[in-house]
Amino acid sequence: MAPARLSNSLLGVFRAPSLRPAAAWRQKCCYHSYEYSQPPPFPPAESAILSAAISHVPNYGFTADALKLGARDAGYLDVSTNLLPRGVFDLVNFHLVTQRLALKDSVQFPTEGEQGKTPGVGAKVRTLTLARLRANEPVIHRWQEALAIMAQPTYVPASLAELARLADEIWFLAGDKSVDSSWYTKRASLSAIYSATEVFMTQDTSKDYMETEQFLDARLEDITKVGGFLGALSEWADYTAHSAVNVLRSKGMRI
Amino acid sequence: MPPRVPLAARRALSSTIVIRFPVRSRRWFASSSDAPEIYDVVCVGGGPAGLSLLAGLKASPVTNGLKVALIEGQDLQKNRLQKDASLESFSNRCSSLTPASVRNLQEIGAWTHANASRIQPYQEMQVWDGVSDARISFDWDTARSPLTPRKPTQPTTIAYMIENVNTVTALLSRLEELGGVDVFSSTKVNSIELGADTEKLDFSSWPILSLSNGKTLAARLLVGADGANSPVRTFAGIPSRGFDYDRHGVVATLTLEGPGWGGLDHKIAYQRLLPTGPIAMLPLPGNKASLVWSTTPERAAKLKSLPPNDFAAMVNAGFRLSPTDLEYLHTLATGQEEEIAWRAKHTPFNKRSIPVRVTDVQPGTVASFPLRMRHADTYTGERVALVGDAAHTIHPLAGQGLNQGQGDAAALVRTISRAVQTGQDIGSTLALESYNSERYAENNAMLGVCDKLHRLYSVESGPVVGLRSVGLRAVNAMGPLKGFFMSRAAGGV
Repeated sequence: MAPARLSNSLLGVFRAPSLRPAAAWRQKCCYHSYEYSQPPPFPPAESAILSAAISHVPNYGFTADALKLGARDAGYLDVSTNLLPRGVFDLVNFHLVTQRLALKDSVQFPTEGEQGKTPGVGAKVRTLTLARLRANEPVIHRWQEALAIMAQPTYVPASLAELARLADEIWFLAGDKSVDSSWYTKRASLSAIYSATEVFMTQDTSKDYMETEQFLDARLEDITKVGGFLGALSEWADYTAHSAVNVLRSKGMRI
Repeated sequence: MPPRVPLAARRALSSTIVIRFPVRSRRWFASSSDAPEIYDVVCVGGGPAGLSLLAGLKASPVTNGLKVALIEGQDLQKNRLQKDASLESFSNRCSSLTPASVRNLQEIGAWTHANASRIQPYQEMQVWDGVSDARISFDWDTARSPLTPRKPTQPTTIAYMIENVNTVTALLSRLEELGGVDVFSSTKVNSIELGADTEKLDFSSWPILSLSNGKTLAARLLVGADGANSPVRTFAGIPSRGFDYDRHGVVATLTLEGPGWGGLDHKIAYQRLLPTGPIAMLPLPGNKASLVWSTTPERAAKLKSLPPNDFAAMVNAGFRLSPTDLEYLHTLATGQEEEIAWRAKHTPFNKRSIPVRVTDVQPGTVASFPLRMRHADTYTGERVALVGDAAHTIHPLAGQGLNQGQGDAAALVRTISRAVQTGQDIGSTLALESYNSERYAENNAMLGVCDKLHRLYSVESGPVVGLRSVGLRAVNAMGPLKGFFMSRAAGGV
């Protein structure tokens, strides 16, 4: 199962300066196993401050104020937000990581035989992506701030890594077990689709985000088309290569 | 531990063993005495390619003496064209024969047997882009360079429209005239196997055919003219590659308002390259025309389900309305005729550059077939040669399928007569090599061109449409270049 799951070590590297002991502890399990439960992603104190801060985001946005209020709610001094050297990005990152990890519990697919037919991998990917997008709903009016923070050059690598982990999580939960080059293309294309849809959602004023759903479906359909095109292309390339050899053979070349 | 067998059963077992021996030895004996009949050439499949090959072999004084056999699963006599067939009805299976194919048929003496009143030569061809309306017109007069004067000997005919049944009947009549072919009609090939090495003859490299009438034939050269799913190709173990286009060709025989814009003496073929596939209307004698519409399987099914008046209206729409309109029309359950009449009023087009209106469809002629492209890895094997569809299947957009088969047959006749003249074994791979080298690259190029055209014109929007339109107009403007393409399509006139 090793290639089907991005290791957690990347996260450890990015967070190493701030919380060394926790990172070192996380380094030990750089693989996924069904046998062991995953350790919590944040140490207790940090987790308490950030989860309290998240509840202030709808009113105060992804700001230092939200962090301070969160620290007070959790019973810490305002100054304890210095525990988080990356400041508000840690708040954004906390949201991203917790929502990603919440996916496996929030979306349940019927197991085989329960409802006759189980949904295909494509349908599962769609459901999971939508579920993840809907998790942004409470903070969607503040999400552009979060996007701006993630786009700061210092945080771009960490944001991209988190995006990659999300795409990986979705494909993993959808039950994709490919071990060929499509492993990479699938994750890359889903990352692109997800980030585009996320931006679209910040501008969506339709009821129950219907337009976001349509936007996502259109993008996923594009991917199917491209996939079909690539399949046809490889079939065509195979034929052309064979016919070139056959023509040379017909002219008496010993190939 | 051996299983315990009851005494009676054991006795039965041993008795069968005792009996089996004489049976086996008797069968050995039987096969050696009942030796297969030896033929020089056995052709499986009585289509245009196979018949053309046999007629070619029998017409040539060099190969006249070969002992040849023809095996055809269907009844050849029953499917012949009646001499007094009415000119009011035509088969939906028509082909466009190039001048090169016609010359070949003339050389083997079959062309005079064809029912000439049912053949329609055409002098002009109009091809245009369904999206951008870029147009190219093919006729020999505009295809010469403006500096060279018109030669009186220059042919004016681009190709001849002929029903496949007419071609087959002409070839059969010619074969009957020549005689000397053992025809096994309505006979199936049960199996093809390699023979055995007996005291009298070594058949170990010979294909032995057992037929449904109980006969066995040994072939010095086995020719597979048995279509796309060729059993001969399977026997020879030659792989065939290619792909399905996910398109169906809808064919029908149409009745038009009149003989066309050029009158009876200057017939015009039309082809519009729509994103779903080309729609082509090819002239038949009088007011008749043959339709080939390549489209998606769903649309083909829809077209086939329409009543005649709506079908005729859809064909008219196919040459006139935009691809968007057509897409909508295919979604209508009924009433295409009125809808198209209304839409045609609001679509500007030059009346003289499109075919005259279709008024009716000959009942029972609307049919469809899947389009695919296949090419065998080689046309020859040890004592095996493939011709026609057994060797290659092509997209019908250039109307080259039957012509390729005729070209194959003519080339194989040349190869066999060369082998006979030089005293070679006509079934040896060495003797057959020249057939493969003569035809393979040529057919491959034609398959490739049609495949690329299909792909080029299935694009609906974007820069590709602009580029292909510029290309089409440029070729149209350059007479000599167009002449080159035309002579290639005509089979190198």
